[in-house]
Amino acid sequence: MSKFIIQVNGAAYPSSASYNAYHFTKSALESGHEVIRVFFYQDGVFNTNGLNSPASDEFDLTRAWVALSEKYQVDLVNCVSAALRRGIISETEAKESHVSHWNMQAPFTMGGLGELVTGLEVADRLVSF
Amino acid sequence: MKKLTIIFRRAPHGTAHGREALDLALLSASFEQEVSLIFVDEGVLHLITEQQPELAGAKDYIATFGALDLYDIETVLVCQSSLERFGLADSELTFSVDRVTSASITAQLQAADEVLVF
Repeated sequence: MSKFIIQVNGAAYPSSASYNAYHFTKSALESGHEVIRVFFYQDGVFNTNGLNSPASDEFDLTRAWVALSEKYQVDLVNCVSAALRRGIISETEAKESHVSHWNMQAPFTMGGLGELVTGLEVADRLVSF
Repeated sequence: MKKLTIIFRRAPHGTAHGREALDLALLSASFEQEVSLIFVDEGVLHLITEQQPELAGAKDYIATFGALDLYDIETVLVCQSSLERFGLADSELTFSVDRVTSASITAQLQAADEVLVF
């Protein structure tokens, strides 16, 4: 059994990268591997937007990540600076910046790039999508 | 400590890839990982002197490459054939680089624990 850390760089809808990342993560967990955390960097932070509203007959990647995290208690962490640049903002940052709205969905959290680096230090393998 | 190799393969400024690759390189070096950089394909355009990214509405992260020494990032490899493809002479580059062949790049990738491509 291996310890993985997953890096997601592609946005939820226009790229298949994050869909592939989701299926890799799900399969790894179902096969008994450990996933230390899923780290969203670059356009990957768009996966965490709770306002993503695909049509009812389309795959809802944001909800799929949430369900996966609830089932396996996987940490889903955004790079905070990548997220803020792209308009993904949590309730905490919205309050700190006196912005009236926020869009980051729980249980996604904000973290620093350090969480990627500390994760890959203990992981057997980093897999980027 | 792990050996990380970060590959710059896209041109600067048109997308955020180069900027975010550099952020990760410096951060992971400050977390005491052994970080190496490789510039290939259009990524070699990061090394051209006298860029003015502000004119394209972008932050001048190119100047930050000057801080690689401070972060103990010593291995910086540049693909010889990519430089030739863009007709770039040493005098046109921001800092002295190791021009290497694809065989050296392969060896570097094989020695790395993790490879991140931007």
